[in-house]
Amino acid sequence: MLSIENLNAYYGQAHVLKDVSITVNKGEVVVMLGPNGHGKSTLLKSICGMVDSKRGKITYKDQDIIKFPSDKIVNLGITYIAENRELFPYMSTLENLKLGAYSKNARKHEKENLEKVFSLFPRLAERRKQFASTMSGGEAKMLAIARGLMSNADFLAIDEPALGLQPNLRTEVARIIKEINKQGKTILVVEQNIPQITDLADKLYVLEEGHITFEGNKDDALSNDNLKEIFLGM
Amino acid sequence: MNTKGMVTILAVTYGFIGILPIFLGDSSILMRILTMILIWSIVASCWDLIMGYAGIFSFGQVAFYVIGAYSSAILSVSLNVPPIVSIFMAGAITAIIGVIIGLPCLKLAGPYIALVTFAFQLALEPFLKGPLGKAIGSGGSRGIISVPPIHLFGMDLSSSELIPFFYFALVLTLICSAVIVVILKSHWGTAFLALKDSEDFAASLGVSAFKYKLLVFGITSFITGLFGALYVHYVGILSTRMLSMEVFTVLLIMIVVGGIGQYPGVVIGAVFTVTANELLRPMGIYRLLIMGGLVVVVVLLLPDGVTGLIRKFSVFKLRKKKKPSVEIRG
Amino acid sequence: MFIEIIDIIISGLLNGSVYALMAIGLALVYGVTKAFNFAYGSFYTMGGYFAWTLLVSMGIKGGYYTVFLTAIPFLFIVGFFLEKVLISPLRKRSDWQMKAMMLTLGLSLFLDIGYIAIFGPRLKSLPDIVEGTIDIGPFAFMNQDIVIFILSITGLLCFAWMLNNTRIGMAVQAVAQNPIGAQIVGIPKDRVFAATFAISTIMVGIGGILLSQKNFVNPQASTGIMIKAWVITAFGGMGSIKGSLYAALIIGMLEAFVGYYLGMIHIEVAVLTLLLITLAFRPQGLMGRE
Repeated sequence: MLSIENLNAYYGQAHVLKDVSITVNKGEVVVMLGPNGHGKSTLLKSICGMVDSKRGKITYKDQDIIKFPSDKIVNLGITYIAENRELFPYMSTLENLKLGAYSKNARKHEKENLEKVFSLFPRLAERRKQFASTMSGGEAKMLAIARGLMSNADFLAIDEPALGLQPNLRTEVARIIKEINKQGKTILVVEQNIPQITDLADKLYVLEEGHITFEGNKDDALSNDNLKEIFLGM
Repeated sequence: MNTKGMVTILAVTYGFIGILPIFLGDSSILMRILTMILIWSIVASCWDLIMGYAGIFSFGQVAFYVIGAYSSAILSVSLNVPPIVSIFMAGAITAIIGVIIGLPCLKLAGPYIALVTFAFQLALEPFLKGPLGKAIGSGGSRGIISVPPIHLFGMDLSSSELIPFFYFALVLTLICSAVIVVILKSHWGTAFLALKDSEDFAASLGVSAFKYKLLVFGITSFITGLFGALYVHYVGILSTRMLSMEVFTVLLIMIVVGGIGQYPGVVIGAVFTVTANELLRPMGIYRLLIMGGLVVVVVLLLPDGVTGLIRKFSVFKLRKKKKPSVEIRG
Repeated sequence: MFIEIIDIIISGLLNGSVYALMAIGLALVYGVTKAFNFAYGSFYTMGGYFAWTLLVSMGIKGGYYTVFLTAIPFLFIVGFFLEKVLISPLRKRSDWQMKAMMLTLGLSLFLDIGYIAIFGPRLKSLPDIVEGTIDIGPFAFMNQDIVIFILSITGLLCFAWMLNNTRIGMAVQAVAQNPIGAQIVGIPKDRVFAATFAISTIMVGIGGILLSQKNFVNPQASTGIMIKAWVITAFGGMGSIKGSLYAALIIGMLEAFVGYYLGMIHIEVAVLTLLLITLAFRPQGLMGRE
C-alpha cells in the first residue's frame, strides 16, 4: 500500500533521514521504534507532506506522492496524528472533529464517520461542546486520534500515541488502534518502548540516526537481544 | 560573516568613498551625495543592528535621528553651546530618550514594539510643532532656520566647506563602524545570535535578553542621534519634514537592498540607495514610485539583498555545505 | 448638554463601526498569518478612488449599488492577486513575516504615490450615499450617517457569519488557532492565506468607500488609516477579532469625545496614550491570548 524507497529528509543543515526504505502492506500495523530525535517523526511528517526538503520515492496506491502538498495527501487518504496533538484549542470537540473531515474525500462521509468516532470514543460524545484547550491530556489525545479518523483515511501515521499517558490509558490507546485496524485501516505507528503498542505489530522497524537498522516481525525482534533490552522493555 | 570579511568590506567601501573627493572634490553635487552616504550608512547600520541582529522591530530610528538633530540645533541656537560639543550632547540626549522608550517597549511582542516606536515617531511631529515644542525652541512648523556649522581647527564645517565636513563625517563614520563591528563580534553579538535562535535557549545560557537589548538600543540611539546632529549642522536648517514616510522608506530601502542582518551589506545598500535617490530626483513624483516598487522587487527577488547575491557566487557556500550535519529532534 | 452628548455618542458609534470593519480585517490577517500588512491603509484609499472613478469620473448608472456590487469582487481579486504574487513567494523563508512587513511598506509607498500620479494630489469628494436628515424627537440624524452605520454593521455581521458558518471561515479560524493542526487535517494553507488577505482588502476598501464620503478621497490618508487600524488591533489584542470590535467602538467614542471637548488636534495623542496605558498593564492587549 505504501512503500518508501531511499528517502532522505533535511531540516535546514541537518540530514535527518538517510536512505530510508520501508514497506507497509494493506491492513497491517507497522511499528517504528527508535530513540528520541533519530528521525521517526520526520519520517511520518515526510509521508504526510509536512517536510519540505526531501528526496527519494514515496509510493502510495501506485502514485509517487513525494512532491504532493499536505492537503492533497490528506485527500488521498493518509492522515498524520501528531504526538503533541495539534488540536484547535478554542474550538469545541465537535468543531475539531468536523475540521478533521475538511478534505473533499472526507466530507462525503462526515456523518457516518462522526457516528463511528463517537461510538469508539464515548467520552468525546459527552464532551462535544467542550473546548479542546480545557481537556485533560488523555482526552486531548483521544480527540487527536478521533480527528484523524474523521479524515476517512485508509492509512494512519500515528506519532507516539501513548507518550505521556498513564498505563491504563496506554492500554486503552492500544485497544483503539487494534479496533481501528480491524475496521480496515492500515497503520504506521511510531513509539519508543511501549509494550502494549509493540504487541500489535505485524512488522517492526528500528530507526537509528536516520538509518533503518532493523526490519522484521515480533519474533525476529524478540530473538534479537539488543532490541529486546532496549526497545521492548522486557 | 567573519570579522576579517566584515572589516575588509567596510575598509574597501569607506576607503573608496574616502579617496573620491581627491578626484571629484570640485563637484558639489557629488560631494553632497558622498556626505549623505556616510551619514545614512551609519543610521541604517544602527537600524540593521537593532532589527537584523538584536531582533527588535524598532520603527523609531527616524525619530531618534530627528531628536538628535533638534537637540543639537536647539542647544547651539538657544543656548549657544559650540556645535562640536552639542552634537555629542545630542547623542547622549537621544540615548537617554532611547532607553526611556526601550524600557517599556522591549518587553512587548514584535509587532507591538513596531507600533509603539512608530507611534512615537508620529507623536513627535505634533509635539515639535505644538506649544510644548515651541517652548523648548523647536521653532514650531517653521522649524529652525539658522543652525550654526561645526567649528573645528579654525574652520567652519558647513555646506559651503564640503570637503572638510566630509572628512570630519568620515572620521566619525569610521569610529562608529568600528563600534558596530566590536558589538557584533563581542560577547553581545554572540548573545544576539543565540537570542535569534531561541530566547529560551539564550535564557538558559544566562543571557538576559532584556539587558542586552536595552544596552544596544541605547548605544544605537546615541549613534543615530549623533549623526542626526551632524546632519543638521551640515545643512543648517531643520523642520519636521524629516519625519516623513519618505525618509523612513528610503532608510528601509538601504536595509532591504543591503540585506537585513547581513552587516555590512547595509553600507553597500546605503551607497546604492542614496545614489539612486539623487539620480532619480529629476523624475519628480515618480522617484518615490520607483523607490516603493524597488522595495517590493528587491524583497521578492533578493531576499538577502546584495549580500545574499554575493554569497551565492562566492566560496562561502561551498564551505558551508561541508559542515557536518547536526542531528536535531525529529 | 444632553443633546450634545447624544450627538457625540452617535458620531462615536458611526466612526467606531467603520473602524471595526477595517480593524477586524487587519486583525484577521495578523491572526492567520502573523505577518503585518503595512499596505493596509492604501487599500482604504483604493476603495475611495474606486468609488470616485465609477461615480464621478465615469458617472455609472445605479450609483452606490453598482459601486458596492463591483467593489467587492474588485477588491477581492486585487487582494488575492497581490497575496499570490507578492507575499506567497516569501513564505518559503523562515523570516518571511519580517520580509512581508518590509515588502508591504514598499507596496504602500508605491500605491500611494501611484494614486497621486494617476489622480493628482488634490482631494476628491464623493457624493453622499443618501441625502437629507431625519428628526427623531429633539435629534436630527443625517440619513447618510444612518446608512453608513447600517452598512458597516451589516458588513460585520456578514463577516461573522462567514467566519463561523462556512468552510473557508472555519478553515481561516483553524489556521489562526493552529497552523500545524490545519495542515494535518488537509487545509490548503496557501489558499487560506490568500483568501484572508483578499477578505481583509474588501473590508478596508469598503471602509474607504464609506468614510471617504465624509472625509474626501485623500491620497495621503493611507498612513493615518493604517495606524488607526493598527492601534485598534493592538489595543484589542493582536489577532483577536472580538477584541478589535470592542477596541474600535471604544476608540471611536474616545475620538468623538476628545474631538468635541478638547479639539481635534488632541485626538491622536489621546488615542496613543490610551494604547500605551493599556499595553503597560496588559501587554497582550484587551482580549489577546497568551
